[in-house]
Amino acid sequence: MKGGKGSRGRSGGSDRGGIRKRGAATRVDREGDLMMDAGSARNRGKKGRGDSGRSQAANKAMDAIQKAISSNSDTQANIRQGGRGSGLEQVIVRGWKQSKAASNRDGGLESLIAFLEKKLSPPDSKAGTRARITKSRVEGDALIVSIRPELLERMLQLNGFSFAGAPLTTEKYDPSTGGLLDQPMLSAMAQNGGTSSAAETKAKMTTILGKRYTQQTKLLDLSKLGTDPDLLAMGIFGSTSTESKFFPALMKVWELNFDNATARREAVESVSLAHNQLANITAVTTLASTIPDLKNLDLSNNEFKDAQSLIGWRWKFRNLEFLDLSNTPFSADPTFKDTMLKWYPKLRFLNNVEVRTAEEIAAQKKTPIPVQPPHFQDDSQIAENFVRAFFAGYDNDRSGILSSVYDNHTTFTLNVNTSAPRAQQTETAPWDAYIKKSRNLLKISHLPARMSRAYTGAEKIRELWTSLPATRHPDIATHPEEWLIECYPIPGLPDISGQSSTGVGGLLIMVHGKFDEINGAKVETRSFDRTFIIGPGGGMGGIRVVSDLLCLRAYGGHEAWIPEVPPAVPQAAPPAAAAAPAAPAAPAALPVAIPGAPEGYGMPAPGKADTQVQQEQLVLQMSSNTRMTLQYSEMALSGNGWNMEAALKNFEELKVSLECVLHLRPCANKLLQAQGTLPPDAFLPAAV
Amino acid sequence: MAPPSEDTLTKVSTDAATDFVQSFYPALENNRSTIASFYSQPTAMILFNGNAVADGAAVQEIFVNQMSPTHYEVQSVDCQIINKAYPTPTSTGVKLPTETTVKDMSILVVVSGYVRFGESRDLPQRGFSETFVLVPNPSADGPKGKRKREWLIQTQNFRLVV
Repeated sequence: MKGGKGSRGRSGGSDRGGIRKRGAATRVDREGDLMMDAGSARNRGKKGRGDSGRSQAANKAMDAIQKAISSNSDTQANIRQGGRGSGLEQVIVRGWKQSKAASNRDGGLESLIAFLEKKLSPPDSKAGTRARITKSRVEGDALIVSIRPELLERMLQLNGFSFAGAPLTTEKYDPSTGGLLDQPMLSAMAQNGGTSSAAETKAKMTTILGKRYTQQTKLLDLSKLGTDPDLLAMGIFGSTSTESKFFPALMKVWELNFDNATARREAVESVSLAHNQLANITAVTTLASTIPDLKNLDLSNNEFKDAQSLIGWRWKFRNLEFLDLSNTPFSADPTFKDTMLKWYPKLRFLNNVEVRTAEEIAAQKKTPIPVQPPHFQDDSQIAENFVRAFFAGYDNDRSGILSSVYDNHTTFTLNVNTSAPRAQQTETAPWDAYIKKSRNLLKISHLPARMSRAYTGAEKIRELWTSLPATRHPDIATHPEEWLIECYPIPGLPDISGQSSTGVGGLLIMVHGKFDEINGAKVETRSFDRTFIIGPGGGMGGIRVVSDLLCLRAYGGHEAWIPEVPPAVPQAAPPAAAAAPAAPAAPAALPVAIPGAPEGYGMPAPGKADTQVQQEQLVLQMSSNTRMTLQYSEMALSGNGWNMEAALKNFEELKVSLECVLHLRPCANKLLQAQGTLPPDAFLPAAV
Repeated sequence: MAPPSEDTLTKVSTDAATDFVQSFYPALENNRSTIASFYSQPTAMILFNGNAVADGAAVQEIFVNQMSPTHYEVQSVDCQIINKAYPTPTSTGVKLPTETTVKDMSILVVVSGYVRFGESRDLPQRGFSETFVLVPNPSADGPKGKRKREWLIQTQNFRLVV
């Protein structure tokens, strides 16, 4: 982008103002390629399915697939060309950085683009005809989107529209004068360009970062940048324009030092931006996207006047524990402490004073009712078989599922909880495809609507399901942790056969999980809660679905149902459970990954005896509790009649004697007499 | 008696669900001494995060003695009729189909919302999903002259999901 100089519509001395207004320019392609891939995957899928559906012969299907692949690559080439060529119009969108969506992990880009596409589409357009934003990229606070020319007018009309609580501005972008970077060296660097000056700048910045980073303490000290001799030598602060681009560039160089996001996230816990004369965070705002998991942040000795000067970080740094704003005008504000406590729920120290205790933080997380493994009471494996068949069928053959276990009396309803809590820093795609069917009784109060949104009978349900987006649920066997499935018998169901006037027994099944929704080119991840009642009937396996009630909500992860584990060192007797008798393990409920466990271990499989599955699950549990290998865990359990409590007790005794052998602790004679010993190789390698 | 119309069935069931939700969750928040009165006797199963609780009295005991102030926000509710000729128990057994009225039904109610354990508004909002089956209250009168609850919890399963 060496050619792109000056700001649009201005010349000479006003350059700087224009640049400054747009903010810093890290020119990162907004996953343009990824979007294209998604698009082409859809094309491929569609074509492949369609063609193989028509053809009978296997070689015809092969032809079709090859055709699909080759046409797919053509499509991709076209898109690439389109994105760079002159066929598309470019529009600058600003204001979204102030929206609530900016706290999403991607800075709100995905939802912004979804928002724009929705607004660009005619009100009643189907998924296939919706307006597309072919390509987009971020430059500072600006999102530059490429759209087909006929959408330009509508796009410019979106100026002033509110997105997630913030007004947007849209203006046409002229690529010939629109280069936002007027300093070739930095601009090339910010784009990862390969020119020698860029490489040189990058090297210099890497050196500076190296001097300012302490690996042991995971501290990145970016204080007093204005007096850094190396930076002064580079002429960074010679002009406001380079200054405003410097920090994003520095962050970019920092990111380039890491192979992957995980390593980058783990490298830094503390950042100091003290003594930088900052009146607001505009110049340094990229810190939040580069190092989002900061625990300690020193902003002392700056010029922040009020909360507004930090507002861009209102929803950032969700793990912040220590914040120093000493010697800033803001810290004298009477609302200072309350505001910061509110913004940062994990904040423990503010201006070096403890504002929350560790207990208070822990109490936030604590559930008064401990989270236990799923309660799954399904003696004849009816629910287990049903759930497995159902979700595979719902993804691949909804009609087949309906024909097999839904009948004329089955009821299906769905409701959308549009405001459900979500997993941190995820975002929610629009609910258009469902909202007109949603039977949230808090919102749907008129009787006719309540009636029309209940679907009774397999045919009506089929009609509805055909209109709902395609889904892909995770495989229960390979991703059990993403599911929580509970089940128990209930009485009083209607007896379809009419033989029992007092009702019949059935099963109440509650499933919580996630699914990918495949809607055109987009794949959205959502969470769901689905309650089924199944009873005896004329369907496959002698059952029928009485009720199927689906609740959809934003993706909320699966951490909430990971059982709270007992203290790390198991006691001789397991802690008295609050209320529950030990529930039998669910078919899909083993959140602990034990290294070395063979695939499918602890999971039911065709031809595998129930007792074996149960024993394997006990072994996994034992191994998880004791860190012993599967082999030793199995020995401990089988030697104690598969009684977990006895095996744990025995383990405690043996472990003590092991520690005696290793001279880790003095031991009483009687413990030395405990039967048997555990060799060190009985244990799994130390946890990483 | 002619079978009740679909309109009536929908009205009775959906009103039962919303009325229940609008009285039960406030009771969990600040009227905990009434919690037991929401449960039928006997109940089928009561689960909180996988912990089985014996009956309504035990639920009330937990909320009265062990739970910090708790705020529930119900965000979505839906219901379905399970059995529109529910065999409501009577003193002489259960109602026969010829004796049932429109209110002799069992209703599946599913609630989605969030809960905050503790008083501060800054505490995290934990998403929950809760499934109930409501059945008619067979007793003629409410406790001590109060209006009786028309619907009682036959089974309940609460789960934190976010």
